[in-house]
Amino acid sequence: MVRRIRLGLTTPALLGLPVAWLAAFFVVPIVIVALYSFDVYTLFPGPHGFTLAGWRAFVHSSLYLGLFWKSVKLSLIVSAVVVALAYPVAYYLALSGTKRKYVLLLVLIAPFLTSYLLRVLAWKVILGNQGVLNTFLFWTGARSPDHPISQLLYSRFAVMLVLAYIWVPFVALPIFVSLETLDTRLLEAASDLGASRWSAFLRVTLPLSLPGIVAGFLFVFIPTVGEFVTPSLVGGTSGYMYGNQIADLFSTGFPDWQTGSVLALFLLAVVALLTAVFSRFMQAGQAPTR
Amino acid sequence: MDERGEILERRLSREDLLKLAAATGGAGLIAGRAGFAEAARAQLEAESGRLQVMDWAGYGNDGGQTMFAAYVKAHPRNKPQFTYMTNESDALAKLHAGLKPDIFRPYVGWLKYFATSGLVQPWNPKLISNFKHLNPFMVKAGQYNGKQWGIPDDWGFDAILYRSDKVHPRSKSWGLIFDERYKGKIAWFDDLNMLTVAGLYLGFKNPWNQSDAQLKQSQNLLKSKKHLVRLIWSSETNLWEAFGSGELWIAYAWPNDWVQMKKKKLKVVYMHPKEKPVAWVGMLMLLKGTPRYRLAHAYVNAWSSVKSAKWLEDNYGYGHANTLARPSSSDLLHALKLTNPRAVTEPNAHLDRDIPRRAVYARLWEEVKAS
Repeated sequence: MVRRIRLGLTTPALLGLPVAWLAAFFVVPIVIVALYSFDVYTLFPGPHGFTLAGWRAFVHSSLYLGLFWKSVKLSLIVSAVVVALAYPVAYYLALSGTKRKYVLLLVLIAPFLTSYLLRVLAWKVILGNQGVLNTFLFWTGARSPDHPISQLLYSRFAVMLVLAYIWVPFVALPIFVSLETLDTRLLEAASDLGASRWSAFLRVTLPLSLPGIVAGFLFVFIPTVGEFVTPSLVGGTSGYMYGNQIADLFSTGFPDWQTGSVLALFLLAVVALLTAVFSRFMQAGQAPTR
Repeated sequence: MDERGEILERRLSREDLLKLAAATGGAGLIAGRAGFAEAARAQLEAESGRLQVMDWAGYGNDGGQTMFAAYVKAHPRNKPQFTYMTNESDALAKLHAGLKPDIFRPYVGWLKYFATSGLVQPWNPKLISNFKHLNPFMVKAGQYNGKQWGIPDDWGFDAILYRSDKVHPRSKSWGLIFDERYKGKIAWFDDLNMLTVAGLYLGFKNPWNQSDAQLKQSQNLLKSKKHLVRLIWSSETNLWEAFGSGELWIAYAWPNDWVQMKKKKLKVVYMHPKEKPVAWVGMLMLLKGTPRYRLAHAYVNAWSSVKSAKWLEDNYGYGHANTLARPSSSDLLHALKLTNPRAVTEPNAHLDRDIPRRAVYARLWEEVKAS
């Protein structure tokens, strides 16, 4: 009886702290932001009360939705490119049989030992008008010093490039894990049954590593769709993203926490929805393999 | 100072005397002036804790120590503790969120807003011995309803910086930052004042208080010219880096930016447009109900000294309201027109001022950036 009670208390005891943590530092702040979005809370004293005006204005604003769509497109491209770049790396590390795979993995994540800001700023040195790339082009004679490729920096391209660079190691890790846990006997079986290496990859390896790919894709998409540090450093006017707008509404010009909260919650809702859809998709995809 | 503040100050003065009498037991009557000095010191010492200052990056313990060194020396137990503000909007949000700095520094365009917000109280200039050296035009700009709400210190202009070897302006006008010939080489400043500048360029009578139709025109101008702009800067270092490396040829800039680019041996001109530059003046403001009233005055007094002023001019390239200070750089002296006491006001420049519909301006500027 005592044992049963003890077992009964184990789960709440173990879950209590993390759940309380989540409630205090995730759920409550979101509720507060939601209250700001409905004008229940306001930054300034004065008459206020529940209203949908902020949400109504947002839904009817082609500007904010347009900016959101621009950020989604940019983030989708970055996520797809990053997965495409990270997959071969993870594949090599997991399946090539190299003895140094963990050393190489460490090398892959080595950039994380330096600060995020420093890594972004380093790209300014590379992409600028007098940066490494342009200087190389001047040296080769491909461009004259009076006509550098100026679209390299302060552009949407710069934002995508830097974000891709930042996130490649992050994506390689989940793909690596899914590939390393792959039952290699399945590949042998495919080979025995006459499948070419390419066919075995397409029909066995790729489907079985899909959870890692999806996880990696989400790892990139979720943070980059609301990104504002990288765009503000290398984006210029064309690289301005939805995350920048949220940050600006909260802290520049004149504080507009209501609109800022609406934009932030909309982003959260879309990300949560996408995560749910992907999770469902993953579960559906995994079912037949069990 | 509001009525409550004045009463408080009068009461404090009487308390000074009572404290003095109690502390010295009549010896004060013999000690005379020295006794009063002691009383003043006792009053200052009665204010406890570290002075809370909300200021801009570079004005605190991150490089600006010289400007308040005299205060720290005199009040080692009440050293300033800094919170940084990225702009006035950020400061306003922090104040409403419950932050209680004794002092903070908005710029002159926000003076009326804060003075009428109920968040601040006026200064007592009699407690600031360096006050008499401050530029009278800037001092006046720090007043509202006859009270001194802001103590002016740093100042400068919003005007146009351009590369004279690359850019050939058609006229001395704000139009240069909208010039189609220099697509991809132009920088704007990340501030709703861009709408004011657009209004100046469009010839509106009061660009700080534009009608809806005028604002629409200003916003449309900015939206239609945004494709020319490479960078909308919010930090000077960003601007210097981009301008210095040749990414930019034309920028909405401050006098110090011109000095910095000259130091890089670039051929640059700091143009005062025919529509006139906009002058800005930093105004130290005192939080209402501050428990460190006299310490705050002592801190502002240190900031207003000639020594601090010269240091600010020499090291940060901004002007300082102390009229006795002169920078070592003749370039800066020229750019700031420091020999002209009316440099920040008509007919030389438009002194930045209150924008009654600031929230509307802010929203429209955000829309320009998002467009």
